[in-house]
Amino acid sequence: MSIIEAEKASFSYGQQNVLQNISMKVREGEMFCLFGPNGCGKTTLIQCLLGILKTSSGTIRLRGRDIRSMKAVEIARELAYIPQAHEKPFPYKVIDVVLMGRVSYTGLFSLPKKEDRKTAEEALERVGMLSFKDKPYTQLSGGETQLVMVARALAQQTPVLVMDEPTAHLDFRNELGFLETIVRLVKDTKITVVMATHFPNHAFYFENSNIESRVALMNEKMFYAQGRPDEVLTEYNMYDIFKIKSKLIAHQWEEGKLKQILPIKTYG
Amino acid sequence: MRKKLTAAGLAVAPFLLIFISLFIGRYPLSMGQVIGVLGIKTGLSATAPLPIHINVVWDIRLPRAILGALVGGSLAVSGAAFQGLFRNPLVSSGVLGVSAGAGFGASLAIILFGSDTFYVYAFAFCFGILAVVLSYVIGTNYTSTPTIMLVLGGVVVSSIFSSLVSLLKYIADPYEQLPSIVFWLMGSMASARFKDIAISAIPMGVGMAGLVAMRWRLNVLSMDDREAQALGVNIIFVKGLAILFATLATAGAVCVSGVIGWVGLVVPHMGRMLSGNDNTVLVPTCLSIGAGYLIIVDNVARTLTGSEIPLGILTSIMGAPFFVYLLKKTKGRGW
Repeated sequence: MSIIEAEKASFSYGQQNVLQNISMKVREGEMFCLFGPNGCGKTTLIQCLLGILKTSSGTIRLRGRDIRSMKAVEIARELAYIPQAHEKPFPYKVIDVVLMGRVSYTGLFSLPKKEDRKTAEEALERVGMLSFKDKPYTQLSGGETQLVMVARALAQQTPVLVMDEPTAHLDFRNELGFLETIVRLVKDTKITVVMATHFPNHAFYFENSNIESRVALMNEKMFYAQGRPDEVLTEYNMYDIFKIKSKLIAHQWEEGKLKQILPIKTYG
Repeated sequence: MRKKLTAAGLAVAPFLLIFISLFIGRYPLSMGQVIGVLGIKTGLSATAPLPIHINVVWDIRLPRAILGALVGGSLAVSGAAFQGLFRNPLVSSGVLGVSAGAGFGASLAIILFGSDTFYVYAFAFCFGILAVVLSYVIGTNYTSTPTIMLVLGGVVVSSIFSSLVSLLKYIADPYEQLPSIVFWLMGSMASARFKDIAISAIPMGVGMAGLVAMRWRLNVLSMDDREAQALGVNIIFVKGLAILFATLATAGAVCVSGVIGWVGLVVPHMGRMLSGNDNTVLVPTCLSIGAGYLIIVDNVARTLTGSEIPLGILTSIMGAPFFVYLLKKTKGRGW
């Protein structure tokens, strides 16, 4: 069954069309990657899926309900959001940041309860950051900060995580560590993930890790193709959209199949 | 354990300072004399003290100290709330123009009706609120980055009202009205009587209580708007509510005490040094420190020299260097 469903969804800022006729279904327990060049509308689509931006035509449904008719607090119990970059306004303690994931379960004039604190600590534990609990989060590195954002999302206890280029600012090792954490969460908890990314190999990474993965290739406000990673991320499509020569490499080794697409050169 | 001691200390401090204030002043009073006045007024003792003692303790020192506590607490709490809302540790309770608006309202009332305190309060309060409403309308006219737009709205509105105050000063009668306007703008508790407290305590109390009650939400409101909404916060409603409470508290304070700068900026920083950035702890801490700070400053204001020093001058002279010291001390801690 599909958790998120978009039907001919379009969005425009004033006169300017940013999304056109997007139709998609995100199934329970799968990894749904949004991939495409800069400015193709990935972030706008993510904001629409989260109900932060309202589609100008077409519908987006969350478990069958039109997202425009849902309150922020209702959406926050279904979808948790992990931003690309998080701006840190004050040096809050790590635990205080994660506790913010409990807002949708707490009344406007109430404080977080003991159970909320416990949920937040468990979430930190699951991303391996419990020992940072009482540190000011302004002192964390980029990779650690993203893991705290994941913990905050986990504290929301939602069936779906929605991530917008979560590894954009991470180094080589932190990026891999982040992906490993997501893979572990998906395997442990059957959580559904929607993730916008700049890297086609993220989709292959999830597939290589035996997670049900699908990719939507976006270009110029629309979906160009949708399907399993090796159906969508083909050498031809890479040429057609990015004007690059690339090579899809498949390798069989003791732990299974390993697929990657390698960029080779750009065409003028 | 240390946390609990700090909390207990902060809770008791304003009351202790109010009590100590009863002894401070140009008219010396002993412990027995003060207790005597308190005893007769609360009905616990029957021995009548001298009328002058009653006058000094009950009609002057006590209302001033209580008003100082309320005003200081209001300014500090709303300052902390605004700093959180605007994700900016450099804004204060006057950021949306409430002080400038109130200053204009008070000046207008002085010119139209003389120094009748009722009109001055009412005008100051209403124009303070009006200024915030204008800033809010300007700030939310645009759909993108409303936070910076709100701050700019506040800058514009403050500037307009400041100019209008200058205009009123220019046309005011220089012997009667102009001095009243100037003194009002410098801030003072000198006119504090219990009836003033009774009127202004309502908006201050509602504002402070509201902010204290929703203090955990202030943490989330300091996040990026999109993140806060994805965390389940109805941004427009909750932010509007926080602005409403902070404005009620500030307008209530400013209308009785005049423009008192720096409390809403410096006290939240003292609070952060003492108890960290989590608003669930920070807001009550600010309430207590703000109350205590203004009681102390007011005591200095009325005892330092033979005639009274306007409060706004002292809060700036004491607050600004202290702020520099705080910035030096906390440098590199993130903000």
